[in-house]
Amino acid sequence: MISFEGRGRRLTGVAVAALATTALLGGCAAGAPQAEGDDTTLNAIFLPAAWGTVVKEQLAPQYEAETGVKVNVELIARDAIHEKMATLFAGQDSSYDIFNLDYNWIPEFGQGGHLVPLDDVVEDPSDFLPLSLEVATWGDQLLGIPQTVHPAVLWYNSALYNDPETQAAYQEKTGDALTVPATMDEWFEQVKFFDGREFNGQTLSGWAAQAAKGFGNVHTWLSFAFSYDCQPFDADFTESTLSSPECIEATQRWADMMQYMPAGANELTYDNVTAAAQQGTIATAIQWSWGQFATDDPATSQTVGQWEIAPMPAGPGGTSAGHLAAWVISVSKYSTKVDEAKKFAAWLETKENDVFQAKNGAGDPVRISSYEADELLSETLPDTDVPRFRRLATTLEAMQSAQPRPRFAGEEIWETTLSTELSAISLGERSVEEGLKRADEAQNRNLSD
Amino acid sequence: MSTSTQIGARAAVTPLGPRPGRRPGRRPVHAGRYAVMFPGLLFLAAFAIYPTIYSLVISLTKWRVTTGEEPRFVGLENYATLLADEAFWNSVRVTVVFVVFAVLIEFLLAFGLALLFFRNFPGDKVMRALILMPMLVAPVAVGLLARFSLEPTFGIVNQLLRAVGLPTTEFLGSPALALPTLIAIDVWQWTPFLFLILLAAMQGIPEEVIEASKLDGASWPRIIWHQFLPLLKYPILVGVLLRLIDSFRVYDIVFMTTRGGPVDATSTMSWQIYDVGFRSFTISYAAAYSWLLLILVLLVVNTLLRRMSSGTER
Repeated sequence: MISFEGRGRRLTGVAVAALATTALLGGCAAGAPQAEGDDTTLNAIFLPAAWGTVVKEQLAPQYEAETGVKVNVELIARDAIHEKMATLFAGQDSSYDIFNLDYNWIPEFGQGGHLVPLDDVVEDPSDFLPLSLEVATWGDQLLGIPQTVHPAVLWYNSALYNDPETQAAYQEKTGDALTVPATMDEWFEQVKFFDGREFNGQTLSGWAAQAAKGFGNVHTWLSFAFSYDCQPFDADFTESTLSSPECIEATQRWADMMQYMPAGANELTYDNVTAAAQQGTIATAIQWSWGQFATDDPATSQTVGQWEIAPMPAGPGGTSAGHLAAWVISVSKYSTKVDEAKKFAAWLETKENDVFQAKNGAGDPVRISSYEADELLSETLPDTDVPRFRRLATTLEAMQSAQPRPRFAGEEIWETTLSTELSAISLGERSVEEGLKRADEAQNRNLSD
Repeated sequence: MSTSTQIGARAAVTPLGPRPGRRPGRRPVHAGRYAVMFPGLLFLAAFAIYPTIYSLVISLTKWRVTTGEEPRFVGLENYATLLADEAFWNSVRVTVVFVVFAVLIEFLLAFGLALLFFRNFPGDKVMRALILMPMLVAPVAVGLLARFSLEPTFGIVNQLLRAVGLPTTEFLGSPALALPTLIAIDVWQWTPFLFLILLAAMQGIPEEVIEASKLDGASWPRIIWHQFLPLLKYPILVGVLLRLIDSFRVYDIVFMTTRGGPVDATSTMSWQIYDVGFRSFTISYAAAYSWLLLILVLLVVNTLLRRMSSGTER
């Protein structure tokens, strides 16, 4: 048995214990970024999407070469960014200086006072898409610099729409010419027509869109809701208004159309929809504008150059409004290097870098001038004359009418609540009216808390 | 009793004097021992005792961390709200169904497999290693694997089903199938764990016991029922308890496959705690949820232990 009863041994024991304790506590800090204790190193968290990868692999090294300021970029999944921000902010932790935010978190973290205003560092703000700035603003302060926008738009397979046999069959069946649908009713007719047809050796589904529980089904539903003039809340966010006639009509159409999605519709994620488009197994889709680039990748897609985009088909009131997705760059209030962090965030979205990011597949640009950049518009797909950035004109058009998610601090909870009910509606577990009523009741309880 | 014996006995109870080298009047100090224990105690206090007490305190407040506001004491309000919350009772139901079926099936399969491997046969070592493999995979990886394999359009399982003329099945997207599918995934991964425990215990049963039973004319089913089960009682208890506790906490595969859906068909208590705590950041409500989960686990484990120990006393 080991004994430390001698004085020397006691001291040895204490020393061993102290070392062990130090090692133990030292290990607790292992997950935190290495603090280099000066203004020349920034720590940032970005989404592992193309816009985060471009920052990590290209722009941050370039910034270090130009300014001497090193930026450590960690790529972390969406939900994990949200979790990390909330816990770090609760502890007023200064480990990270810069965060990549889904814009619907701006009200939540803005209301908590965790983000630094960035109005003073944005270069030529009038060049930004107005909606991209609007969603990054809370309490009259710009709390995030827009990095990328992508409104939900209608994707359609142009090869299918231009196919003479398909056109003739559609004409024969409906009496109408097959054109890109401008209204929800036209689109629904076409979806029913396409569903189950054979094209290029594939059996088609009428359409596809994100529909998985969590946030996917809410994101797709919102494009229907906005196009049907449904607003989920009253103007000052004191009451949930999901049971309005407009919302019921929008939800009914969404639920009816769910029947024409591929098998396993209720599990469809963004990646599943993209994969289906690449395989050519769907005729149309509701997806983010930016995502179209994936269908042009010959390594993964059998439909290179075929997918085109159009604004959301208009609802009965003539409104065409896709749901807006956008990511912004924010600076933590608890950063010890706020000025340096602000400079880097602003630099990422200079006119030059906005184009650079778009060119490298990092989402659609946030600056109006980028939509006219020759560098983007003149590029074609390899061995074709199909413009690589053919989506930009429609994206810019869609941005005129796109609408953001409800902008209030409890948006994430709202999405969870609504998502469960939409899941029940699409599976036929509840009627549209019953599901929306339950969502209303649950959300009103949340609002009253 | 002889005098010499009395003297000897007295000497035995006489307190010992100071040991050579130790100054008289000082109590022995075992600083070294305490010092060695200190890191462990510190670890326990920092990572188990303090968080447990802290979560209890938080559960008595109203606190949403992203608001920047301080927690406000509300007493038992969170618990009262929870007990009236339909989603809470659904999560209890889902969790209990998951735990009961997963652990029961795992036990039956593991027991059967252990009986099969109880006697050596050609290739048994290779097969045993193969059986144990799922247990070595991280649950997150298992969830991801399941999601891809069971995907309706491109997943290999549905492709195989279609190849033999069966219809596409939404294993994870159907409210009726999602929970049984998660149970099946759990069974696939954790049956090997119980198998390992039961096989080790079975191989520790003395051969004489089996031979004696055989000589008495007992059939194998009778030997299993009357000899194996009583002798394996404690290994079974340990294995089942560990699986029970682990199953109550099921989260990884839910996160990777269904995220609580479709609708709320797979919304387990752990998933709900994550959803409330780390999506809406209502930490106080999530803390209360966690305490109710802890109480439920303790109730079940305690009941099981009592039943087993009362059986022993009889």
